[in-house]
Amino acid sequence: MSELQETARKLLSEGTVSVVIGYEEGPRGVRPAFITAPAQADKLIFDTRCVQNLATYLNPRRKQVAQLGRAAVVVKGCDARAVAGMIREKQIERGNVVILAMRCGGVLQNPETNSELTTQTVSVRCGGCTVREPKLFDHLLGELPPEPPVNTHRVEQIAALMKMSSSERWTFWTEQLSRCIRCHACREACPMCFCVKCTAEKSQPQWIDSSSTPQANRAWQTMRVLHQAGRCVDCLECERACPEHIPLGLLARYVADSVERRFEYTASDDPTVPAPIGVYRTDDDEEFIR
Amino acid sequence: MNIYQPHLMRIREITDETVDTRTLKLEFEDSSLAEQFQFSAGQFGEYSVFGEGESTFCIASPPTRAGYIECSFKATGKVTQALRRLGVGDTVGFRGPYGNHFPLDEMKGHSIVFIAGGIGLAPVRAVIWNVLDLRDQFKNITIVYGARSVGDLVYKRELEDWAQRADVKLCLAVDPGGETPEWKGLVARIPTAVEQTVSTADDTFAVICGPPIMIKFTLPVLEKLGFPGDRIYTTLENRMKCGLGKCGRCNIGPTYVCKDGPVFTAAQMRKLPQEF
Amino acid sequence: MTHKFFSHQGLSSLVADLLTAQTRVIAPVCAKDDPAQVDYQLIQNVEEASFGVRLPRRSLKEFFLPPSEVLLHYKQTKTGVEIREVPTVAPPQVIFGATPCDVAGLAAVDKVMNWDYRDELWFGRREATTIVSFLCNVMDSTCFCTAVGSGPEATTGSDVLLVPVDGGYLAHLVTSKGEALLQSYGLPVNEAMMATAQAAQSAARDKVTPNLPAIPAEFAGWLARNFDHPVWKTLALRCHGCGACASVCPTCHCFDIVDEHESVDEGVRRRNWDSCQTALFTTHASGHNPRGSQSERFRQRIQHKFSIYPSRFGEILCTGCGRCSRACPGGMDLPTVVAELVALSQAKPEVSGQ
Repeated sequence: MSELQETARKLLSEGTVSVVIGYEEGPRGVRPAFITAPAQADKLIFDTRCVQNLATYLNPRRKQVAQLGRAAVVVKGCDARAVAGMIREKQIERGNVVILAMRCGGVLQNPETNSELTTQTVSVRCGGCTVREPKLFDHLLGELPPEPPVNTHRVEQIAALMKMSSSERWTFWTEQLSRCIRCHACREACPMCFCVKCTAEKSQPQWIDSSSTPQANRAWQTMRVLHQAGRCVDCLECERACPEHIPLGLLARYVADSVERRFEYTASDDPTVPAPIGVYRTDDDEEFIR
Repeated sequence: MNIYQPHLMRIREITDETVDTRTLKLEFEDSSLAEQFQFSAGQFGEYSVFGEGESTFCIASPPTRAGYIECSFKATGKVTQALRRLGVGDTVGFRGPYGNHFPLDEMKGHSIVFIAGGIGLAPVRAVIWNVLDLRDQFKNITIVYGARSVGDLVYKRELEDWAQRADVKLCLAVDPGGETPEWKGLVARIPTAVEQTVSTADDTFAVICGPPIMIKFTLPVLEKLGFPGDRIYTTLENRMKCGLGKCGRCNIGPTYVCKDGPVFTAAQMRKLPQEF
Repeated sequence: MTHKFFSHQGLSSLVADLLTAQTRVIAPVCAKDDPAQVDYQLIQNVEEASFGVRLPRRSLKEFFLPPSEVLLHYKQTKTGVEIREVPTVAPPQVIFGATPCDVAGLAAVDKVMNWDYRDELWFGRREATTIVSFLCNVMDSTCFCTAVGSGPEATTGSDVLLVPVDGGYLAHLVTSKGEALLQSYGLPVNEAMMATAQAAQSAARDKVTPNLPAIPAEFAGWLARNFDHPVWKTLALRCHGCGACASVCPTCHCFDIVDEHESVDEGVRRRNWDSCQTALFTTHASGHNPRGSQSERFRQRIQHKFSIYPSRFGEILCTGCGRCSRACPGGMDLPTVVAELVALSQAKPEVSGQ
């Protein structure tokens, strides 16, 4: 058994947790696993196809998972930042979850290809990762692989966008967002979108129309990504979930870059480090207020 | 014209039944529609405030009174709050009548016990007046109606009408603590009021409507009296949008509340998956 | 059913003639954001079409039930409200290269759209559309059309089914609309063509049937009787309730109705795609939700498709296209779920429930 499998088996057989949320081989590739029996712990795997952010399943409002009992969750560094965010924002208590952090060398942009990690196949979010050895954990597992190759595709896309004029960008995004059917899969897959009632679901007043129209779609996506400012961990689950293949990762990365520039902050895997959206400092950059 | 397009109605009268329950009397703008319009007691409609949306209410007036329909509602959400902001002469949209209805033809020649709690009297009121308008076609009529407090009783003027009638046995009740010094009715919850008022199930149908908890505790009383499940009628509510079977929202298992209901017998209700 | 032979050149000519006559033509086209993928789109010339490359990412549903459509326009006036109707007659269009699973989906949804009240918006578009489907040869291991009573050679919902033969296609003219479309095109068929087509149809079926055995007729009843089976509590733990499955599904048709202001006194009433998988779908104004957790919502999806729709309309509300599985970010796989439930339904009584 691997270190991960053995750790999971022990946690379950000793009753420390009732379920281990991890990755397993499914009929169509890697899928989230909910292991409740110690004997099933050998189903747990961890490789470059493990792109899902399992922190999402810790949301206490996911009643069907919550009723299984105390959970252990397998996380990569990026996922650990989401767990930290949920702890920081009081959605879960640190003591209520056992974090099985995996040392990670990057994942595939398209896990279905099951290929080696190259500058073309690696996920655009992995290059330059600073949390390959996550700092938020109860168990730190696995061997540290080499640094991931750098896939510059997204950086190039954003650079190309920033070279456009405002009206060209507006046209680009209006066209991309015209495909948005307001299914909100992006929100449901996101670990940091845990509001009991999303702004888009409020009808008194109706802040954002629920229909798929150009202005409502722009309002929805902009609102969501702004609500993620400083909180988004760039797991790209939103982009992966979108049935219309809208490049939501571009928006997420751009806002994350803006937060980094203005507040010198990246979503932290330390729950005690406050995030900009929840804190006011007298030396905050306010040049945008005139 | 498509099936989602409502008729235009005008508000002719507004009555505040209680602090939070309002009744609107609506007339068709198109008088030829007014003449053709028919429905049966128990059916519902989708009432809309243009710009705010649609809301589902039963038709609270009887089909025996032509030329208008009434609905009663509490302002709980966006559309009902908007309905409360409308005044006499304002326009309301109406789609309907939808759903099934109380089987009055089956009940003719028999006795009926009507039991309602709070705003649950609204759908029952449609049947009561339908029956009273055809009084000689029915045997004994008993009405047991209650609410949490005197202030929560709806259709107060009509309660007085029914109290005056010799051909109706009326029992009014308020919950313990809900009575006023002048209150002359019972102080008891509905199940107790039914026990005290209804003595037989012989040749009798029961029509019951109210909060789920009231129904839950009243059904055993009716069963003890000998009412079989297929002679007890009630209405079910579920979240609705289209009201006509297409939007896929109101089903309980294979039963569509908007098509197979909203009127169900207790026997039918028991067979439903417990997902409502 | 009559048949014709239709050459590749003939197909191109037909498409070109339709475009010249200003008829809308929809066909599978390579996606701009990912050339390996294909979407159904309006085309302006026949070269844009990519037939038989792979299953288009989304179904044909959006051409008949748009993600958002206006039901009426309203205007507040000094004296009341005026309603402006929307047209229910749609411009004529022809779809080329539809897959049989997508077309069967349209035929299935026709039933609920005609249930006592005829949805003129849906049928306006259905009546204006002629559908030419192709024998499917782009199946993968996630497809299971044969398990739900359809197949890569199915003609349900098509007006014409084209099956590749030497030099072109054998055209099965399924409906009078199909006959009318190909009236001035095509050549007579011969026995050899019929045999080749038949062989191609069988071969295509043989590729899909191993993916999932035919769903037994008793399954719908078992689902209805086992509403409270414990399996529902753990079947969908990984489901996010995102509704991506419903949006790509050829048969999911559930919708919401909303009013929207467009200016102070004017606006529209719209119907928008919605999904039973979302938390708010069945939530009452009081806050009570009959389906309060994802396990109940996922149960509804399976029950509706494999039990409720069959009991009301006589057919399964699923065409086995596999898109839900491919789109699911949580790794749910419908053939696996169905196989697990069918196995349960066939197990010994003490395990199966009832």
